[in-house]
Amino acid sequence: MSLLAVDQLDVTYLTRKRPPVQAVRGVSLTIGPGEFVGLVGESGSGKSTLGNATIRLLSRPGEITGGTVSFNGQDITALGEDRLRPMRWRDISTVFQSSMNSLNPVMPIEAQFRDAIQAHSRASNGQVRKRVAELLTMVDIDPSFMRFYPHELSGGMKQRVALALALALEPKFVLLDEPTTGLDVVVQRAILERLRVIQREQEFAVLLISHDLGSVLEFSDRVLVMYAGEIVEEQAAADMLRHPRHPYSRGLLGSYASPTAKTIAITYIPGRPPDLSKPHQGCLFAPRCVDAIPLCRMKAPELLPLGDGLVACHVAKMRAEAGQLPEQQGRSWRTQAAGAVFTKHTVAKDPTGAEDILRFEGVSKLYTRRRGFKTTLVQAVDDVSFVLSKGHVTALVGQSGSGKSTIAKLVTGIERPDSGEISFGDLRVDRLGRRGLRDFRKHIQMVFQDPYSALNPAHTVLSTLMRPLINHKGMSRGQAQSRALELLETVGLTPPERFGQRHPHQLSGGQRQRIVIARALAPEPAIIIADEPISSLDVSIRAEILELLDGLVREQGIAMLYITHDLLSARLLADDIIVLNEGKVVEAGRAEDVIANPQHAYTQLLLRSIPNPFVEETAAD
Amino acid sequence: MIYFVRRFAVFLLTLWAAITLNFIIPRLQPGDPAERIVRRLNPNSRTVDPNQVEAVRKMLGLPDTNIFEQYLQYLQTLVRGEFGVSYSYFPFTVTHMIGQTLPWTLVLGAVTLFIGFVVGTLLGAWAAWRRNGPFDSVTTLGATFLGTLPSFWIALLLLYVCAFKWGWFPVGGGYSGDAQPGWNWAFISSAFEHSVLPAVSILLFAPIGWILGMRNNMVTILGDDYTRLAKAKGLSERRIALWYGARVAVLPNVAGLALAVGGILGGSVVIEQIFSYPGMGRLLFEALRDGDYPLMQTVFLFIIIGVLLADLVADFLYGVLDPRVRRGG
Amino acid sequence: MSMLQQGETPTVSDALPLDEEGAVEQQTRANRRFRVPGWLGILWENRKSRVGLVMLAIFLIVAVFAPLFSPHDPRSNDFAPNLDPGSGHLLGTTTKGEDIFSQLVYGARTSLIVGVVGGLLATAIALVIGLTAGYLGGTVNEVLTFFINLALVVPILPLIALLSAYAPGQGLWVVILIIGLTGWASGARLKKAQILTLRSRDYITAAVFAGEGLWQVIFREIMPNMISLVVVGFMGSAMGAIGAEAGLAFLGFGNPETISWGTMSYWANNQGALVTGQWAWLLAPGLALSFLIMALTLVNFGVDALGNPQLREE
Ligand SMILES: Nc1ncnc2c1ncn2[C@@H]1O[C@H](COP(=O)(O)OP(=O)(O)OP(=O)(O)O)[C@@H](O)[C@H]1O
Ligand code: SF4
Ligand SMILES: [Mg+2]
Repeated sequence: MSLLAVDQLDVTYLTRKRPPVQAVRGVSLTIGPGEFVGLVGESGSGKSTLGNATIRLLSRPGEITGGTVSFNGQDITALGEDRLRPMRWRDISTVFQSSMNSLNPVMPIEAQFRDAIQAHSRASNGQVRKRVAELLTMVDIDPSFMRFYPHELSGGMKQRVALALALALEPKFVLLDEPTTGLDVVVQRAILERLRVIQREQEFAVLLISHDLGSVLEFSDRVLVMYAGEIVEEQAAADMLRHPRHPYSRGLLGSYASPTAKTIAITYIPGRPPDLSKPHQGCLFAPRCVDAIPLCRMKAPELLPLGDGLVACHVAKMRAEAGQLPEQQGRSWRTQAAGAVFTKHTVAKDPTGAEDILRFEGVSKLYTRRRGFKTTLVQAVDDVSFVLSKGHVTALVGQSGSGKSTIAKLVTGIERPDSGEISFGDLRVDRLGRRGLRDFRKHIQMVFQDPYSALNPAHTVLSTLMRPLINHKGMSRGQAQSRALELLETVGLTPPERFGQRHPHQLSGGQRQRIVIARALAPEPAIIIADEPISSLDVSIRAEILELLDGLVREQGIAMLYITHDLLSARLLADDIIVLNEGKVVEAGRAEDVIANPQHAYTQLLLRSIPNPFVEETAAD
Repeated sequence: MIYFVRRFAVFLLTLWAAITLNFIIPRLQPGDPAERIVRRLNPNSRTVDPNQVEAVRKMLGLPDTNIFEQYLQYLQTLVRGEFGVSYSYFPFTVTHMIGQTLPWTLVLGAVTLFIGFVVGTLLGAWAAWRRNGPFDSVTTLGATFLGTLPSFWIALLLLYVCAFKWGWFPVGGGYSGDAQPGWNWAFISSAFEHSVLPAVSILLFAPIGWILGMRNNMVTILGDDYTRLAKAKGLSERRIALWYGARVAVLPNVAGLALAVGGILGGSVVIEQIFSYPGMGRLLFEALRDGDYPLMQTVFLFIIIGVLLADLVADFLYGVLDPRVRRGG
Repeated sequence: MSMLQQGETPTVSDALPLDEEGAVEQQTRANRRFRVPGWLGILWENRKSRVGLVMLAIFLIVAVFAPLFSPHDPRSNDFAPNLDPGSGHLLGTTTKGEDIFSQLVYGARTSLIVGVVGGLLATAIALVIGLTAGYLGGTVNEVLTFFINLALVVPILPLIALLSAYAPGQGLWVVILIIGLTGWASGARLKKAQILTLRSRDYITAAVFAGEGLWQVIFREIMPNMISLVVVGFMGSAMGAIGAEAGLAFLGFGNPETISWGTMSYWANNQGALVTGQWAWLLAPGLALSFLIMALTLVNFGVDALGNPQLREE
């Protein structure tokens, strides 16, 4: 018998001002005891809503408007809170999407365990303390931390505490909603690995929600793929990896690749998910689907058995019936591209011929941090040297806190180094005054991490783009306007007139990032600093932005410093890679060489931490 | 610990700034302040009596020395508690007058502040817990509309209806003439009777800020992740409401205590004057009305010092309640 | 606290699918045609603030066209004293024989002038101090924060009364000036906090890289995102100014010759209006004040909701 059974579940957000949003539609799923199930989908696809509905934790204005949820054979869809309360945490517990804020800021850690434990048992304070120590040890945290308050722990520690808390009463089912999002790759990996070990020992069932198909595939037994409020595919993880059948799953999986391969091709899915407050006809994925046929726009596909899994797709079903699925023909699913493809070959240009643009020589920067009466010194950058050259991308890779952003500030002149030289041609960047800096910014521009914060919500796209043209190029308003329209076209936003009039809130994340790139291109700079330009974008569109950046750098001969924690994207975009750890360069070289043959233990650790569902596949190659 | 030390240092600095402000204000106006004051005291005479000017100058501590020495002297008199002689209550000293009125305002202010804070915070918390229910609507709307009424107006109506018309309470003063001030029952009961109307007038308004502030904070916090997690943990409603909702939501209210002290002391000028209550507010009113400059300066200084002390206490309390500031950086 | 962060977070309406571009465009164009300031539109959408805006408009019309609305000269004391309401005088007459209703109408002028001018002055000071502290940060911020906190705790009414005791005159403008000069602290604190969060947005860095100077960054990039806070701040300062003027006048520290709701209350109280049964003389100015403050409070409801989604009507 299944532990958790969801049947034809509908969840609607009913707001007074807006039309109702059908965030979950007709979803059915089951989870057996001790099973580890993954749920993936891009942002807004309804994963959290579904998860919260299954544990009856929807908050207003969300409501279950149809279907049932049963736990252990009992229908809990409409169970009153009083009846539900004894089941909570004993049977069902959870770790929230933003565990950073899920601990009470004014209670010590121990007390937050204690109230959960004592709400369901008669454990004495002494027993509780023993249990908390046990639980914290289990997630690799020293028991002495139980006397601390949440703000005294790091993000990763809070996440571990939240996990330990969820396991306090040995529940039968744990809902994990993006339990590691926002953490460093290395930390993410460590937490998920630990979780999997504990789960095998204690045999509780897990629903792991994530937007990252890579890690879900690695850790789950079975994977559900969600799109626009519906489950579109369900398969055992191993099968999903071998033959994803829904075009959307193929698209998601296509954005992973092994960074060590000679030729890397990753796909992306252009377009964006539908508005769930509008009525729809046919397959919701049709506008973004490469396989779509006329039938798709008329009739919605049902989630039907296909092979060992379930798929909701007309074309996949027809192909299966005709024996034309790639795997039925002994081919890899990759032969059926699921969208646009961004391919990168190993053979890069000869770097020796390129003209040097910026030299960074033996630069160090020490920060003093004051906390109370104590001051600590932080060596943010320690004797770092590199060269940026024309038409080349140099990637700066490292964990958070490794000094990447400080280097960006030094290169742009926002901070001055304590020692070392930064020269742009004959110009000494580290000695520029106020005016000099302003002139220097003609030559150096930035692309930011978060496209939501990088565009002023008060201005239209056009007026945002015209400012650098007027300021740096001395153009008149008319000239600036026509040049801005050209720029929009350069970054693939057509028709430009239409996009020019929009405000940022009328654009998707990917479109915003394109505007940010267009703005950086406006003064025709010699250097662009791209600080994690894809990490806050949905997986399905990351490759799209990488492709755009790649093309621009090569065509316009820009020197780019690409800052990232992600080795795969560094490998895709960069010619050279510099690996940074605690302010020091631990490894540097041609991108292929660094990835294929990492010398330093730290680089190897980073490489191991990339979610890569294909490790075995490539090892077999 | 660092927090408390630092906070105390800020208190000393603020105190110094306030004392200095009090020194500067009378000297801000153009010309000779003493002469100006004399002119305003005798609006009908065209000439200024130099002796009178000299007298005023003495009282204000405005000798013909340079500003720096004046400042030092001002500080010395402060430390010694010599604030000169009041014009309007001659021959009483300013210190004497303050000693007479301070206890009245202190008791009335402290009691109304405490009751207002407790009642307001509780009402706000309950309204947030039963959000959008009838209690919430009535409380929120009632508080909002009450807040728009001019307080002097309400006080006048109370005075008229409860004292004049129905005779439930005395029409003014601090205690009846036949009671002997001291620790005796006759005096205490009389003083209590006299302070009911002023207290009620203050208490009608005092909880409003606490109600609205508490409600809004708590509504936000009840939607926060850690409160949702408390529900997922299967904690009782009571525990969630008190230890997750109210416990955190009350913090901004505690931080706002100091401002409320300023508000109550400021409002006491109006309320005490309407009810002829013998406190510092009324003293300030009379000093202002009679142009009794030494007195008004000093009363104002005491009000500021009171507010700053309250601020310090509120901040210490906040530090005790919020581990993030107590154990933070 | 509630309006510290606003407007920047992606909302549900963000999920416009591609095929809806036409609609977006129409909306954009419509916005340009009417040129209704965005915040006014949002205020109008909220039921409570709509009522407030209408009430405010009524007060404004009465104040501007006071001579049309008042049946008599408010200063003329040619009438029989102590008349009851009705009897040719809507609200009766004062002990000096002035028409109470006419005074009430002209009082709207005083209160609105005090509110607008005092509010503007306080808002302007708050903006300058908040901007300087928030944008420059560092030591400047610490010093200014110290002064903001000091100004915040000093009780306003005694301070104003004290300052007006030293002021060279007692005219309305002096009172307004003092009120404006003293009522900026809470506004400055809120604006500083808002600027501190806005300043860390990437688009500010981006503007610097686009070659904008200090003033352009402040006025082009920061200010447009602070409009709602400035509106709230102005509204709050206006309320404070109106209340302070009324309180001061009621205590008799204003110019007793000015016709305002505060001085009306002062005279009514002074002449024992309640004891002599002249209810209207005291009730009318009190209610008028209350309605004006209520109008501003109602308008503020809509503005508050801008910043705190939790307070939005569900
Ligand atoms: N409180 C709400 N009111 C209205 N609509 C909401 C609300 N919360 C979520 N939605 C809508 O419901 C849909 C699903 O949201 P949900 O948070 O479940 O997505 P998700 O898959 O968890 O996304 P993410 O990966 O960003 O966490 C989205 O279209 C979202 O806009
Ligand atoms: S049903 Fe059609 S549109 Fe939908 S996923 Fe399958 S092929 Fe694409
Ligand atoms: Mg989610």
